[in-house]
Amino acid sequence: MSGAVSRLLHRVPDAALGPLLIAPLVLILGAVVFLPLVAALALSLFEVNTLTLDAAWAGLGNFARLFGDEGRFWSALLVTLVWTGGTLALQLLVGVGLALLLNEDMRFRSLARSLVLFPYFVSTVVAVLVWRWLFNDFFGLANQLLIGAGLIAEPVDWLGTMPNAMLSLIVVGAWKFFPFVVITVLARLQTIPPQLYEAARLDGAGAWARFRDVTLPQIADVLAITVLLRAVWDFKEFDLVYLLTGGGPVNATRTLPLIVYQEAFGLNRIGMASAYAVAMMLVMSLFFLVYRRVSKGQG
Amino acid sequence: MAEGLTRRSVLAGAAALPLAGCAADDDRIPLRWWSPQAAPAQVRAYRAQIKMFEAANPRFRVLFEPTSDEGYPAQFAAAFAARQPPNIVTHLPSFAAQNYYAKGLIEPADALLARIGAERFLPGANDVYRAPDGRLSAVALGGTAVDMLWVRKDLLAAAGMAAPRTWDELRRYCQRLRPRGIYGAPLPYGSNSMTSLIFIGFIHRAGGQVFTPDLDIALDSAPVYDALDFYRSMREYCPPGATSFGWSDSLNAFVSGATATGIYGGRVLINVARQNPRIADEIDCLTYPTASPQIPAWTFNDFPSVFIPRGVSHPAETLALAASLFDRAGYVRQLLAAPGHVLPVLHGITDDPAYMGNPVTSLFQPEIERMTVAAAGGHNLGFETPAHRPNARAGEVIASNAIAELVQRVVINGENARQSVGRAVDMIARVMKA
Repeated sequence: MSGAVSRLLHRVPDAALGPLLIAPLVLILGAVVFLPLVAALALSLFEVNTLTLDAAWAGLGNFARLFGDEGRFWSALLVTLVWTGGTLALQLLVGVGLALLLNEDMRFRSLARSLVLFPYFVSTVVAVLVWRWLFNDFFGLANQLLIGAGLIAEPVDWLGTMPNAMLSLIVVGAWKFFPFVVITVLARLQTIPPQLYEAARLDGAGAWARFRDVTLPQIADVLAITVLLRAVWDFKEFDLVYLLTGGGPVNATRTLPLIVYQEAFGLNRIGMASAYAVAMMLVMSLFFLVYRRVSKGQG
Repeated sequence: MAEGLTRRSVLAGAAALPLAGCAADDDRIPLRWWSPQAAPAQVRAYRAQIKMFEAANPRFRVLFEPTSDEGYPAQFAAAFAARQPPNIVTHLPSFAAQNYYAKGLIEPADALLARIGAERFLPGANDVYRAPDGRLSAVALGGTAVDMLWVRKDLLAAAGMAAPRTWDELRRYCQRLRPRGIYGAPLPYGSNSMTSLIFIGFIHRAGGQVFTPDLDIALDSAPVYDALDFYRSMREYCPPGATSFGWSDSLNAFVSGATATGIYGGRVLINVARQNPRIADEIDCLTYPTASPQIPAWTFNDFPSVFIPRGVSHPAETLALAASLFDRAGYVRQLLAAPGHVLPVLHGITDDPAYMGNPVTSLFQPEIERMTVAAAGGHNLGFETPAHRPNARAGEVIASNAIAELVQRVVINGENARQSVGRAVDMIARVMKA
């Protein structure tokens, strides 16, 4: 058997051997990446009932509607950008800060490094249930503490009014996802040669100057890829937003993924849902182009 | 390592484990059952019914798979698109059954009704499932008086009032309780289906309707503005978090004693009995107050149903499974899993000692009778009045969030009611036209 394979491979010209060997990978990638992509693009050009899959050609009609007065794309895009920008900024702030702390020599460092990953491992449903409980107006810890401290007289409505709903969403999102920033930045911090810090100290650099002139340039590459990945993931985050606020009040936290879900499964318009998804993909491609340009500029 | 136990033998044993599992696999034919009513006690009751069915049909095993009120549209869309629907579906609202039937996705239920025996049902119990072609889209499994007004007799006495019958009386009652630090009502103002479903009841209790009997949109009317006015005026008597209340939040607010009134179905009974028995003797229920005494009560009944999707495997056994849910002992046990919440639709159950002997049903007999009467005369958006044509788009109207958004715009954002109604009309018109 192996002899037959060996003889067959010897008969293949050198120029064709490489493509032949990577063909299985290309086929798998095609099946799991490009096929769904093409299907989504195709669906976006039809009016399709989700339940029956009855389809009628719509051309660019779905896109005309979603970008037009009838559509909700622009308002939802703004909400999605606010959510993505807000939670990403907080994740970076907390994540980089904790990574710096956990890079220091201290007691229980291993335990702290393990514990800090906890929110990332908790399922979103459980995390949202816990946070909804914390925000509860009757028994929630957040209100109890504030009332106990005499800062408020009546419970605060954390999830049902603006801007509280968006702020709560941003905080919960940051809590859930900052460990990813910690993991990536901490891994990079551990490879920075200590001599750089020693030299900086000898030159009289303080803590802030050492961070700005040594740490930040060293972690910049990792930070850039982390920002790109987290921006894409936060932009298309569905379950956390859906479970925490459901898109309310009115549509103040209704991000694009929530609209895709509502169009597909609430209103049974999977063609329109695909059009929203394709538009989202275009925005995310824009993120990637910006990243490429920035990294090229740095190079 | 012990003699005879080598690394290779351990690995071989580990590799054989999955195979051993395969050999022990159940070779009976699976039938799948979906329901959004899946509290632990209810699932235990279903398992007892399943056991009876499996004993009578040893070639089959029944798999119960829970869904949810908010999640079932997505699960069904995926199941229908993949041509893998469950064999039977229970407890979905009548308008969901009508929607699926109108799209040709479920079997007519006339054969199921004949198998169970139409004469066993209370009069009119299955009318709500009658499709425009004259056939049944589903069969009634129970009834639910979803939006009863729950009150505390001790708090009414303290306020020196009788149970409110009109909106003015309800508001006055809430005002009197406010200085005592008790919220008046747990009305929902969230961006969810509960707000839509509950507010539709308020539109009717103001004398209005969402659609005309011919299914033209009727939102731009004086009663709708009255309902919005009242709903807005009640906001200050509701907990701050009511702006994101779902069903369980609203239920817990009353059961825990945080609010003086509740708006819910019979699940209040079992929850009070288990979680706050201190107030068990003090609670009472009645149909929700209307804008004026001249307007009749309107109760939201989602008409929990049973239906069979089209093209399921083993249709004869599936029909037998669906019919077996109405076998008396199992049916009573299923009702008692959520006593007073899912109300009987078969003759003779409320007189059955097995049903009324339950501690909750016996303690709360008057409340259950009142809810049964209210549910029997109940309606929902798919069946607003007996004069209305069945509205197969009701589920999509709810899912569009148009009505919840209307409430939020007027109450939370303080937007102009007329403009907000105009937006809601446009949204609903697009759903109806699609």
